[in-house]
Amino acid sequence: MQKDPSRIKVVVATDCGSTTTKAILIECVDGVYRQTHRAEAPTTVEAPFADVTLGVTNSVTELQELSGRRLVNDDGTILRRDSPEATEGCDLYISTSSAGGGLQMMVAGVVKEMTAESAKRAALGAGAIVMDTIASNDRRRPHEQVQRIRELRPDMVLISGGTDGGDTKKVTELAELIAPAKPRPRFGGEYSLPIIFAGNRDARPAIERTFAGGGFDLKIVDNLRPTLEREHLGPARETIHDVFLEHVMAHAPGYDQLISWADAPIMPTPGAVGDILQAIAKGRGINVVGVDIGGATTDVFSVFDGSFNRTVSANLGMSYSISNVCAEAGMESVLRWVHLDMDERELRNRVKNKMIRPTTIPQTHEALVFEQAVSREALRLAYVQHKAFATELKGVQQQRTVGDAFSQEEGGRSLVSGMKLDLLVASGGVLSHAPRMEQTASMLIDAFEPEGFTELAKDSIFMMPHLGVLATVHERAAMDVFERDCLVMLGTCIAPAGTPVAGKPVMRWSARWDGGSAEGTLMAQEMKLLRIGERALVEVVPERGFDVGAGPGVAVKREVRGGSVGLILDGRGRSLSVPDGAEGRRLVAAWAKALELHPD
Amino acid sequence: MVLGADASFLNPDKLLLLVVLAATCACIVASMIAARAGSVPKIRRIAGLEAVEEAVGRATEMGRPILFVPGIQDMDNPMTVAGITVLSRVAGTAAQYDATLDVPVSRSLVMQAARESVQAAALQAGQPDWYDPERIRYITDEQFGYAAYAAGAMARDKPAACFYMGCFFAESLILAENGNAIGAIQIAGTAETAQLPFFVASCDYTLIGEEFFAASAYLSGAPDQLGTLRGQDIAKAVIALALVAGVFMATIRVFSPEQASEPTVEATQ
Repeated sequence: MQKDPSRIKVVVATDCGSTTTKAILIECVDGVYRQTHRAEAPTTVEAPFADVTLGVTNSVTELQELSGRRLVNDDGTILRRDSPEATEGCDLYISTSSAGGGLQMMVAGVVKEMTAESAKRAALGAGAIVMDTIASNDRRRPHEQVQRIRELRPDMVLISGGTDGGDTKKVTELAELIAPAKPRPRFGGEYSLPIIFAGNRDARPAIERTFAGGGFDLKIVDNLRPTLEREHLGPARETIHDVFLEHVMAHAPGYDQLISWADAPIMPTPGAVGDILQAIAKGRGINVVGVDIGGATTDVFSVFDGSFNRTVSANLGMSYSISNVCAEAGMESVLRWVHLDMDERELRNRVKNKMIRPTTIPQTHEALVFEQAVSREALRLAYVQHKAFATELKGVQQQRTVGDAFSQEEGGRSLVSGMKLDLLVASGGVLSHAPRMEQTASMLIDAFEPEGFTELAKDSIFMMPHLGVLATVHERAAMDVFERDCLVMLGTCIAPAGTPVAGKPVMRWSARWDGGSAEGTLMAQEMKLLRIGERALVEVVPERGFDVGAGPGVAVKREVRGGSVGLILDGRGRSLSVPDGAEGRRLVAAWAKALELHPD
Repeated sequence: MVLGADASFLNPDKLLLLVVLAATCACIVASMIAARAGSVPKIRRIAGLEAVEEAVGRATEMGRPILFVPGIQDMDNPMTVAGITVLSRVAGTAAQYDATLDVPVSRSLVMQAARESVQAAALQAGQPDWYDPERIRYITDEQFGYAAYAAGAMARDKPAACFYMGCFFAESLILAENGNAIGAIQIAGTAETAQLPFFVASCDYTLIGEEFFAASAYLSGAPDQLGTLRGQDIAKAVIALALVAGVFMATIRVFSPEQASEPTVEATQ
């Protein structure tokens, strides 16, 4: 039953990860919701415990000890307040989960770039990992597709294809590949594999016939591409969440109990992160990019003009996938970010050492510089993949005028734009636990190359999943905590877009803040850091050919947010290029010095 | 007095043309040799050709046919030949996607060339059974009879993608407007300058003049063909420069003192 938001004053939220269950306590203090305590305990979903609730109880017990507020009953369940005056228990308990590999899905569609891509977008947006995408034009022969389907062990399958009133033959053929292949679900034979059909409504009878009696649990929802001009992902995403709860979670050890404890549906962790970013983007009317870099994968989330996209770069990470990052980016690309005397052989040795001992963290200054260089490339590659995925719909009729004769742009343009980006949020070990905030800001700028004015922030304890679920129950509480406790503001980056010429100015600038002011000219390839405190009033006059958001050469005057780092002026131009050899090393060292990345 | 004529292999008045032709050929051959040796020129992306897959994909998702119109001229027109080259690509993609492709033609020779091209494309795509010769059919040589048929077919079958690749005249707007009205993705290509504005305004993508002729090299990516393109471009650039220089020198000559004192043709008349 939905709780009355006005009666919610104390919230306990947990996020059950693969290794750690994190719990936070949110309390209403002087009318404002704040995150007051945080605790964690090992996740207990695997043997010998095989009960996720044990880890939840342990983490909430630690929370209870830290806060001095009783939150756990003697039987290990979460204690609820029985009256607003009670000083024990909580009003709301919510949880997310990515334990046991999270939600793993296979998607299928008729054309890879159209309905199959929409199906992938729906699955990723719901917080799933997409194991494979089957399409009629994926250049695999039917027997190869069947073989692949048999190899995978997904939690559920999403099938799309055909616009309403459109193709029925191809989408039925897809179903006819999947049904006889009988993909085995991850959670064993007793479990009927859920199939969600979100394709052409005319194909429903044929789909029902194909899956009848085959040990599948078929759910039919609205078409996610009713016309090629419109994408309608909501019903498919909601059904994925429902199936995740009813089938996947119910078959995971202890989750049936956890579901009964929670006051809101348990969500996949990435889905909850996506929800909070969408809520922030909508609430503040801004465009947001969020990134979570882990050991094996990197998740990138974006909300541009209200369109939400998420990608999982499965082979880009800082420990298990570090070798793949170096192979994909190339050693010279990694090495360009190293200002120390380090050759390729040494870099290879460090990569191999990290492969052998993936969970180690840097112990020396050189190791830290190396790891942050790799992270720049991992983030850059993940962002490139994200930009390629987060596009306008393909297969849509274009409207032209005679004026378009020499500028006919293709459909499917990327929605992600460095200039339109307002807020960049970082999370994940290498970003959150960098010894200096300046290093986090520098990694973000080098990898994402924001243009114009962009705020930089980090979610140091990865609280966004908790807040994503909280936003579904109590949006104001989620916003309060997000602004005050979740995000650590790093500062603002001002980066004129354009091609700099060595020795020539890029822009003139002036800034006024509480207790100080400064002005100057930013030269090509120069970086500058201003410690401006909370806020500053900045005026920027870009040179001809450079743009900070109002057009080439047009001045901009606006208030910017500072933070732990401050205001960063980036005169390196876009797109960013670092010269090879000694000159590049000298420049990178100069940037590191300007941003005070390694003051010791 | 008896008048006689002497046979001659060379017309000295047209010697310059021979030089230009030889230079152009040399340029093309040199570019081809360079391309074979590895110096393959890059061609900018041509949106109209890149969108072929998108258009065929749209037809597949919507379960509707693709209409390909290869112009209304015969095979002796280079635009028709270029159109058949693009047809080959469209047919290959349609065969892969198992989409329906309709090709009404207005010349019997074009029908034969189109059939062979589509059959070869289907074979290359590994879908020989997809090829259906009945879908490539002759309609009429009459310009407006043909246009009337194509417009009627659009209204009846509502193709999701329409391609107009070849030589077009007054029927261009009839076809493109009908295609636009039924909501099809439309890709046109022609070198008929008078028809280009109509196509640009009513189609999603238009291959303009040289882009259309470059389609063959662009789609094949073969070094020989790409080298030929570069050779042609170099020759054209040289000719353009010569034209500019000629105009400049002629202008100077008009304003030179000795020329200014000479009476003009009009004045003497």
